[in-house]
Amino acid sequence: MPDLSLTRRSILKAGASVAFAMGAAPGLARSDVRLRMFWWGSKERAERTDKVNQLYQQKNPGVTITGETLGWTDYWPRLATQAAGRNAPDVIQMDYRYIFEYARRGTLLPLDTYVPKDLNLGDFSQDAIDSGKVDGKIYGVSLGLNSTALIYDKGVFDRLGLQQPTADMTWSQYADLAVEITKAAKRPGYSGIADGARIEPAFEVFLRQRGKALYNDDGQLGFNESDIGDWYVYWADLRRRGGCASPEVAALEMGEIDTSLLTLGKTAMVFAHSNQLVAFQALTKGKLGMTMYPSGGSAAKPGPYLKPSMLLSVYTRSKQADAAVQLVDFFVSNVEAGIILGVERGVPASQTVRKAVQPTLDDLGKAMADYISFVSDKVGPLPPPPPPGAGEIVLLLRRINEQIGFGRISTAEGAKQFMGEANAILARG
Amino acid sequence: MTIVTSTAASRLLRMATHSRGWSRKGLAGYSFLLPWLVGFFGLTLGPALASLYLSFTDYDLLRDPRWVALDNYARIASSDPKFAASMRVTFVYVMFAVPLKLAFALAIAMILNRGIAGLPLYRAMFYLPSLLGASVAIAVLWRQLFAGDGVVNQILAQFGIHGPSWISHPDYALSTLVALSIWQFGSPMIIFLAGLRQIPREIYEAAEIDGASKVQQFWKITLPLLTPVVFFNAVVQTIEAFKAFTPAFIISGGTGGPIDSTLFYTLYLYQEAFAYFRMGYAAALAWILVVIIALFTAFAFLSSRYWVHYND
Repeated sequence: MPDLSLTRRSILKAGASVAFAMGAAPGLARSDVRLRMFWWGSKERAERTDKVNQLYQQKNPGVTITGETLGWTDYWPRLATQAAGRNAPDVIQMDYRYIFEYARRGTLLPLDTYVPKDLNLGDFSQDAIDSGKVDGKIYGVSLGLNSTALIYDKGVFDRLGLQQPTADMTWSQYADLAVEITKAAKRPGYSGIADGARIEPAFEVFLRQRGKALYNDDGQLGFNESDIGDWYVYWADLRRRGGCASPEVAALEMGEIDTSLLTLGKTAMVFAHSNQLVAFQALTKGKLGMTMYPSGGSAAKPGPYLKPSMLLSVYTRSKQADAAVQLVDFFVSNVEAGIILGVERGVPASQTVRKAVQPTLDDLGKAMADYISFVSDKVGPLPPPPPPGAGEIVLLLRRINEQIGFGRISTAEGAKQFMGEANAILARG
Repeated sequence: MTIVTSTAASRLLRMATHSRGWSRKGLAGYSFLLPWLVGFFGLTLGPALASLYLSFTDYDLLRDPRWVALDNYARIASSDPKFAASMRVTFVYVMFAVPLKLAFALAIAMILNRGIAGLPLYRAMFYLPSLLGASVAIAVLWRQLFAGDGVVNQILAQFGIHGPSWISHPDYALSTLVALSIWQFGSPMIIFLAGLRQIPREIYEAAEIDGASKVQQFWKITLPLLTPVVFFNAVVQTIEAFKAFTPAFIISGGTGGPIDSTLFYTLYLYQEAFAYFRMGYAAALAWILVVIIALFTAFAFLSSRYWVHYND
């Protein structure tokens, strides 16, 4: 019998604790806000983001933020899968390339009703606000401004006794400089500049200088066969002269910073974006410098543009949408958060944050901020976001260039093939 | 007629009377199988059937699937140059990787079967690449080895040979992947080794007395008696080769380049699904691969009666 009573007592005890837990749970849930945040990027970015999240939790007891992070390539499949499973994170780092697709397919929450009470965009420039708009509604808030930038190894130029590139150098001057570097370096497999023919932003700048565009407002190609032909000819010519990387070396480049030819020590200059300077420098011994992509000459239209390096969006189905928007606001308009984030995601869009961040920057950060102010009056308008299928065309640009580089087809054939395949991809969507 | 019915009826009766006992036993059995069954139905069969349905839809993950009947299959059959290109790459890979890997595995197994000291150690050592082979780390290492200034070319340079950048040249990239596959010969080797041990020594002794050379012994004794093992290895390795993905994904950075020379079928499928979010189309591609693998396996089984000798 004592055994039984013990059992009964323990059962009662267990029952009581269950009842307690059940009674207490709703009370906890009221003050307990759990937010999930998802972003792509380097380890550096993860550390800065986690720090801001911790600061936010301190300032807002009851809020718990779980951060998830992946590299760019793995990020998009994961996000799409989560969205399909109706389980996307509350706060989503978004890219200009994808925001239209996600917003139009109903994954992102329109944020207009939260402005200005929960989301303070008071000192954002109109351009910065517009860069997160889809069909007239705000779906994303810019985390920083960014532009195309040619990143180069200063050490190499000093060692070889060559003049560093400047923002007013034209495409043909760049070609000559690249050839000079290759000749002076005298190392097999080393060349002045990476093969830019396959780099979509480089091609885009080239087109815009001619008054063309990658895509027009209807989502069709904004250039014709002679434009892409000229582009492939420029690079085929430079390849023949030895100025740019050989096709074998260029094929090693996978589009991530750690496989870039600058990082691998195979070239002096690469086509990149300004906010990537930090990540490039972390992987390179020599001191890096940054300037604009080659100029189209004095008569040309502006090639580059300022774009949001990335945006923060909120998931439509978020159960804590208000709290999620407040967290977004903290990231883009809080000065303390801004100082922690620095310019790693680009130069902050908020004027107040930018002013507060400026004095705290190291040399690299300063160079980046200076670069953005330097290019501000040399840029053109933000182009419409790329249509569905554009991602496939990025690979097409690369494959045709490889076919030309390895001597399988001529530049003229390449241009023709590109137009045919690109139009077919766009027609399919 | 009545007899037939009565037998059927008595069988039914028997089943009915025994069913209680049977079901209790069966229940116990099934409950032990439950973890596996849940996994099989929930994680394998369910998703497989879902993907069959999706292959008849246009599905981009974000919007609901839209029924398009046979459109995906029609497109694959009529106007998809990448389908043809990736099929070609995959078939070339299977045609070279499988026989070469099996030949290599058999050769090593025969060397190890000669009774050298420290056999377990060698066996483990040779098996190691199979454990590591399909991993990302090894593919990354392979990239380094076969790059233009990689170790392989540095060794070749000692002999005055100026090698190309193996992994980034369209003529050679696929062969480095075949080499990577051959290097993972461990698991067929272990199976070959077990098979070789099964062959009775007396047969060799008899052959030797009859004056058969080592080469004759191999062709007349070893290989015929080993055919069941060869058959098993060939089927398993062929299926594996059709499904190969990781090495090509890592070595080409997911592009299948240079010039689609490493665009494995699975890699193309992955691009369609996860880079361009055409899940319906990718599901159709996946089912075509299932059918191809099934056909190959069926062919192997049907042809086996003509070349596989079971010594019982």
